[in-house]
Amino acid sequence: MTEYDEKLSYLLDDYPGENPEATLDDVIGDVNLQYRMRRYQIIGETMRHELPRSIDSGFHQSVMAQISEQAATAQPQAATSTEQGTSLLSWVTLKPFAGLAVAASVALVTVALWQPLKQESGELDGGLVSADQKKIQQLADQQIQGSAVTVSTQVQPLGTRWKLEHEMPGLQQKLNAYLVNHTEYSNSVQGLIPQARVAGFDAQQ
Amino acid sequence: MGTNLLDADLVKRVKAGDTGAFDILVQKYQHKVINLVGRFVSDQAECQDIAQDAFIKAFRAIHSFRGDSQFYTWLYRIAANTAKNYLASRARKSPRYTVDVDDAEHFEGESGLKEYANPENLLLTDEIRATIFSAIEKLPDDLKSAITLREIDGLSYEEIADVMDCPIGTVRSRIFRARDVIDKELRPLLE
Repeated sequence: MTEYDEKLSYLLDDYPGENPEATLDDVIGDVNLQYRMRRYQIIGETMRHELPRSIDSGFHQSVMAQISEQAATAQPQAATSTEQGTSLLSWVTLKPFAGLAVAASVALVTVALWQPLKQESGELDGGLVSADQKKIQQLADQQIQGSAVTVSTQVQPLGTRWKLEHEMPGLQQKLNAYLVNHTEYSNSVQGLIPQARVAGFDAQQ
Repeated sequence: MGTNLLDADLVKRVKAGDTGAFDILVQKYQHKVINLVGRFVSDQAECQDIAQDAFIKAFRAIHSFRGDSQFYTWLYRIAANTAKNYLASRARKSPRYTVDVDDAEHFEGESGLKEYANPENLLLTDEIRATIFSAIEKLPDDLKSAITLREIDGLSYEEIADVMDCPIGTVRSRIFRARDVIDKELRPLLE
């Protein structure tokens, strides 16, 4: 035992000696060796005047008891951090591919929806024209009082605003004047869309 | 005094899941950590709680300790931060002294700050101190010189061998024998 205690003393002074791993294994597994090591520690602390005014012999046991209690939560945390590390690593590796996949998906969806939307919008225009054809015809028959402007029965396709301007000069100007006047007379904030006022009216009712 | 190899080995074991290795680290540094926390908090119960908390935090964070600094430096930093956070959270009066973490180990401070023990523990600690100094006085000169050069002056075995003009093996043996003699006097008090 004396020889072993000498190894312990040597180890405490940070001199590995022969087979320090085995010595340390023995210390960890033997409470008596731990007590001896602690007493050696106390001798040094006393000589250096580093010993606390009061020592609690059960301090390390309290710490280890708390650690044991928390082990159930501490271990999963360590495992979670490892998992997070792994998932982060895989995310970093896969990030460029994920970006490409998202871009490809967006492109595919855009191309796939483009044609049906185009067709659908054409059909809708036609449908609207056919549904309102009678009303438009009635409007066309009427003369707008005080104006030389006539309303065409022809439904203008999108993007032919210049044509309207050419065929009905002054219409755009009148429309603008109408909008400006009505915006000025509105008691709401200027530029507020008419639908908002209607909603307000409904709510008051 | 070099403590790198033993600490590094113990930390490696703790990281590998050996909690017993952490117990050794607690036993090794408990008094130093309690002394450090005692610079910030005067109440004994609070001091013990904070020191315990610091060790538990260190245990839980040990996977983040990369070994760039020495273990005890890292541990002292955790202990000092735990004590400071405790004071901040309780809005207690700040300590009378501003102690840098690096200097805290050697800071003597005011003795009043350490007046936190119960009478039994105070008596026991005084007795331990008296026993150790008495045992040292009774040591033969060669053992007394060897243990003094090691523990108080912090010399390495090689330096002590130079000073005492003897082989390193003799130094090692003298230091151990000195400890063994003192331990025989000390053991009854701590068992």
